[in-house]
Amino acid sequence: MTAYQIILAAIAGIFLTSNIAKFLDRRHGHTLFKFIASSTIWGGIMTFSIMPTAGHSLSQALGLGENLNTLIFIGFIIVFAIIFRLLSTIEQLERSLSEFVRRDALRQINRD
Amino acid sequence: MDRRFPSISIVIPAHNEEQAISHVIKETKAAGYDTIIVIDDGSTDQTEAAAKRSGATVFRHLINRGKGAAIKTGIDAAKRLGADIIVTIDGDGQHDPTDIAPMIKAISQDGYDVVLGNRLQDRSGMPAYKIIHNLIGNFIVWLLYGLWVNDSQSGFRAYSKKAAHAIDTHTDRYEYDSEVIREIHHNHLRFIELPIKVRYTAYSLGKRQKMNLKNGCKTLIRMLIFE
Repeated sequence: MTAYQIILAAIAGIFLTSNIAKFLDRRHGHTLFKFIASSTIWGGIMTFSIMPTAGHSLSQALGLGENLNTLIFIGFIIVFAIIFRLLSTIEQLERSLSEFVRRDALRQINRD
Repeated sequence: MDRRFPSISIVIPAHNEEQAISHVIKETKAAGYDTIIVIDDGSTDQTEAAAKRSGATVFRHLINRGKGAAIKTGIDAAKRLGADIIVTIDGDGQHDPTDIAPMIKAISQDGYDVVLGNRLQDRSGMPAYKIIHNLIGNFIVWLLYGLWVNDSQSGFRAYSKKAAHAIDTHTDRYEYDSEVIREIHHNHLRFIELPIKVRYTAYSLGKRQKMNLKNGCKTLIRMLIFE
């Protein structure tokens, strides 16, 4: 195992532990979705840094052939999932904000 | 509803329409409608003051939330003020208030729930890109919501009290117009499209927040993902 592998595994381990601790503490805003997404990312990094050959069987199963292609493919899926989640959250916030602004505008009727 | 004397409210969403709003209100009053509700959608100019001076009831959004949100606020206000028929027109002067009368008749006498102004029946003066944009909009609305209309993006519409209560929209911006079509379909509301005149001026075409290709793409994405 090279020094790079050890460093990468250590960093991933720190983030993974922190993520699990936050979820177990039921820290505000740390939802199940965040827990699963974060665990998948850091768990994946840790696994592939310790066992680079672990991706072979997965690559074969997905028909991608190369380990790197598999990682890029999975990375894209994760990035798209995160972007979609972010867009949904922003849209929800926008709608909440609009509702607040609309109610404020209509307070005039209640006063009159 | 008292079919002889329905209470009619005209809702005008306005964002930075200081130059045009007074004229729109005066023209609407001249056409015979006194209950005019202007929603100042977070304007940074004197739209609110100009509308008040012209005799409209003004509700102000603290920040800009979009045409859909403004119309929704206006319709809510009209409902609370006891309107039987609610008409929405744009605040930039492109719509002719003399077209309101046939819309009122369609609801109060012919029993329709919703009247959609159709700009595409007489396309004279309409820029080619707007015609194409509207046709694409109609196709997408039909594809997503299953109801074909000839002008799915028109802001000149009239609603009966029943329709105003039944239509439940959630979007804030230009996708609102399409969402209303969906609600008409889902709630089995009786609707008719009536031809309307549109006056395209350098002012109305020059406004930055108007629907363009970029906003059209954003609208489509919101319709596909969030609706």
